[in-house]
Amino acid sequence: MSGHPNDDLHPESWPVAAANPGFAGDTGEFTQLTEDDVRGLSFVGIRPKDGGHASVAGTLPYQVAEKDPEAPIFSGPYEDRLEKVLSRYPDRQAALLPTLHMAQEVRGFLSPATLDEVAQKLGLSPAYVRGVATFYTMYNLAPVGKHLIQVCTNISCNLCGGDAVLAEFLKHAGTEVGETSANGLWTIIEVECLGACGFPTAVQINDRYFENVRPEDVPAVLAQLT
Amino acid sequence: MAYPYIHPSETRVLSKHFGEPEARTLKGWEARGGYEAARKALSMERSAVVDEVKASGLRGRGGAGFPTGVKWSFMPKKTDKPHFLVCNADESEPGTFKDRELMRWTPHALIEGLLVGAYAIHAEHAYVYIRGEFFEAAQIMARAIEEAYEAGYAGKNVFGLGVDIDITLHLGAGAYICGEETGLLNSLEGRRGEPRMKPPFPAISGAFRFPTAVNNVESLIAAAHVVLNGAAWYKQWGTEKSTGTKLFCVSGHVKRPGNYEVPLGFNFKEFIYDVCGGTPSGRPIKAVIPGGSSVPILTGDELDIGMDYEAMAAAGTMLGCGSVIVMDDTTNIVKQVRRMVDFYAHESCGQCTPCREGTTWAAKILRRIENGRGQPDDLETLLQISENMSGKTICVLSDAAAAPITSSIEKFRGDYEALMAPVPALAAR
Ligand SMILES: Cc1cc2nc3c(=O)[nH]c(=O)nc-3n(C[C@H](O)[C@H](O)[C@H](O)COP(=O)(O)O)c2cc1C
Ligand code: SF4
Ligand code: FES
Repeated sequence: MSGHPNDDLHPESWPVAAANPGFAGDTGEFTQLTEDDVRGLSFVGIRPKDGGHASVAGTLPYQVAEKDPEAPIFSGPYEDRLEKVLSRYPDRQAALLPTLHMAQEVRGFLSPATLDEVAQKLGLSPAYVRGVATFYTMYNLAPVGKHLIQVCTNISCNLCGGDAVLAEFLKHAGTEVGETSANGLWTIIEVECLGACGFPTAVQINDRYFENVRPEDVPAVLAQLT
Repeated sequence: MAYPYIHPSETRVLSKHFGEPEARTLKGWEARGGYEAARKALSMERSAVVDEVKASGLRGRGGAGFPTGVKWSFMPKKTDKPHFLVCNADESEPGTFKDRELMRWTPHALIEGLLVGAYAIHAEHAYVYIRGEFFEAAQIMARAIEEAYEAGYAGKNVFGLGVDIDITLHLGAGAYICGEETGLLNSLEGRRGEPRMKPPFPAISGAFRFPTAVNNVESLIAAAHVVLNGAAWYKQWGTEKSTGTKLFCVSGHVKRPGNYEVPLGFNFKEFIYDVCGGTPSGRPIKAVIPGGSSVPILTGDELDIGMDYEAMAAAGTMLGCGSVIVMDDTTNIVKQVRRMVDFYAHESCGQCTPCREGTTWAAKILRRIENGRGQPDDLETLLQISENMSGKTICVLSDAAAAPITSSIEKFRGDYEALMAPVPALAAR
């Protein structure tokens, strides 16, 4: 863990809270609410790597900041997590999405070899797993930078300047859509509606939402993402 | 209450505890009367739960507005087959952000809704399909579900009443089409999220080919309120055919964006100008999308109508999921329609030719018009493509993509024509 005061509350892939402009939207009339209140950080706490209770074990990806493309996917707490996930469905195939999430959590992206490994573990054909993995946008099929920055440019955000926010991210990172900045830190992509349209522009960075991001906030946001 | 704003005209039933962090915890929820609804439901006859929800007139809040109680009554009476409840928390319709607030402020309300719904349809397992991007809401739900298991409010012998109901959270992985209920079911089964041909409907052959009801987050939470307080109580709000309250998500050019809960039938003009404060600049409103990007656009002059399913239909549009997108007179309608059609082209699952090809072509033509290179017959071509996309496909994503195209050409033809004039006026901006 990186040593800031709320270590026990914040997964290490999350930037330091106080420095995040426009977190979770303007709190509007709820000025007494802190970021922690809005996001429920203390309520959630640190989720255990083994997934916690089986009912929710499939829903806890991406909490580790350090991804290792060589690390084993199905060992230690991850093995336990997979067993719990499998226990919730009538067949092994249904665990495919959660298992792909888990593989990506550990390795950062899904290489062909990783997909084959998942296929073998679940008793599915490699072609089938590839077909499913390519259907969904959240699975990275190639390596991405340390921080994946996804800017919503769909209608509600766009009406309030989503395109300008995207342009500003690209300008300051010195990169193109879908490419990684030269320092290897930032991959910037355009996404469809993130379901936070009342807090434009919505930007998802790794597993976290930044909201009400204005073009002028961009340098400060990037500065946190080291 | 609308987080982050409250307005005195609101009727806060589902959103009453937004903005109260303690309401998230089991303890805080019970201190607010939590779990009374679920306890009451599980002590009733199952058919009585269905009847009460039917009598309330509650209609599905996921977009289609199908009566929730009626949907539940289609489920076979329990035989030896498993039944499933699936909660649709995929929320990806552009303009929609209510289920996220419901889950992050009141996760236990959804768990109660799941217990009520699962019990009503003889399901021993409820899956919550949350869109993958909602890590935050998913983690809050995860913790709340663990609390419910620890307290004996989920799993075996719920509340000690001899009923077993398991709950499982399932994370999507980024695909709008998984919000369509049969696409969602395929995705839950570990497949590509491609919608299925209907019939058979999910009530006969749903998740894992077993009888299944798919309900939106807001529908399930409202159903729990109905069971606790009765159908008559719920019908004190709304109109005859659109009963109760509903969360409306407001975004775009308004002073106070956010979620607001008002009774169905509330005046739309008053809602936008008074509750949401009108446009931030005070400029006139050019257009409003009342129900998410999939419904026809209204002009700023067409707002003096009720916010209910019937009045919206009479105005040629739909209430959808209550996602109000406001555009002031500086808006380039062609650009925004193009952006929406780009979205549909990206999200089409590709199974049906009219949808796959139609969305792609329409997006190309719109882009050409936006850039001032429109051709004289482009509008006719767009209308023809839209016609071909409507009513001919496996699911209604295709129809949804056509709605902004046809309605905007009908109502803002001048905007398109201005871009196509020899000296494209708007494109020069
Ligand atoms: C393309 C498409 C996307 C949809 N997306 C959602 C969604 O994100 N959330 C939702 O609840 N319903 C969505 N629906 C509606 C569902 O198919 C289904 O009608 C709904 O989940 C039923 O729940 P309800 O009766 O409680 O509304 C979508 C439908 C279509 C055609
Ligand atoms: S209408 Fe479009 S999204 Fe729906 S099933 Fe057909 S191709 Fe897929
Ligand atoms: S349009 Fe940007 S979050 Fe919905």
